[in-house]
Amino acid sequence: MQRFLWPLVIVLAVGGLFLWGLRRPDPTALPSVLVGKPAPAFTLRVLPPYQAQWGQEITLAKLIGKQPILINFWASWCIPCRQEGPTLSAFWQQNRDKVLVLGINTQEKNLSDALNFIQQYNLGFPSVEDNGRMYINYGTYGVPETFLLDTSGKVLLRHVGPVSPADLEAMLKQVGG
Amino acid sequence: MKPRLRGSGFGFRERLFAARLLGLLLLAISYQLPAISFAQNASPPPDLSSRVFDIARELRCPVCQGESAAESNADISVEMRRIIAEQLAQGKSPAQIKAYFVQRYGNWILYDPPRSGATLWVWLSPLIGLGVLALLLWRYQGLVKKRARASVDGVSEAEIARLEAELNQQNPKP
Repeated sequence: MQRFLWPLVIVLAVGGLFLWGLRRPDPTALPSVLVGKPAPAFTLRVLPPYQAQWGQEITLAKLIGKQPILINFWASWCIPCRQEGPTLSAFWQQNRDKVLVLGINTQEKNLSDALNFIQQYNLGFPSVEDNGRMYINYGTYGVPETFLLDTSGKVLLRHVGPVSPADLEAMLKQVGG
Repeated sequence: MKPRLRGSGFGFRERLFAARLLGLLLLAISYQLPAISFAQNASPPPDLSSRVFDIARELRCPVCQGESAAESNADISVEMRRIIAEQLAQGKSPAQIKAYFVQRYGNWILYDPPRSGATLWVWLSPLIGLGVLALLLWRYQGLVKKRARASVDGVSEAEIARLEAELNQQNPKP
């Protein structure tokens, strides 16, 4: 019996390691270092369709304190953004008194592509134009990415990939909406 | 075998000097370039000196698989090289520049994990592995020795005398 004990322990340990490796959520997912910290500040140009309501520029600091903010990095060339855009827009229409959805159009080659995208998916929430640095300041590693900020401007979570209505509901619950 | 080319007239020191001179020249040009050709962007061009690439090579491209910010041509890598160039021009050290990216992406962005804190084990694990292997070998050797001694100890004096007599009988001494 003693002879088989150690081989058995080794086999079980290696097997356990494999099982753990296979069941890990996503090994390529990168946790954001911003969670729990104040969101990087910005003042960015508002995209033309929203300028009438939101002015030429949006400064994040001026929005903090009023509502929780959902910052969404998107681009017209990004396929998952096409899936996410209408979901986000519908969510904002329903919950605009509880949370502000703020889009940051990033890594866009032509402004007209972004404008077509807004028109095509009828995006109601305001979007600003990335100055080419904000997606690095937020430590993004793809598009779309969504950051949830509480009313003090602290980052509560970062969501990588398109958000589903269920994700958005969970975020709303997290900020007490 | 091909003969090695020697005596080109320039030794290592001379070549190092030339490389440094070229580096300085490139750096000097890099300070001038933004004003000339990149007036619109007001920041230096992304790919200027080898120092930029030296630092970029130690940073991951966030959107790529297994590519550094020096090799990749993704928008983000081009922008990272531009940031490195800008910060070098501002007189920042490579460590400060790397810290800028670590602040945004965490230690993940570095190809060499820092030799402290949670990533220390990455550097220590080969040593620990070797230590464990040496310990196991040492114990195994001890076990083998003990077994060999035990087999000798287990034989009685009479048995040894009988075996020796038998051996002497088979191979009589000349």
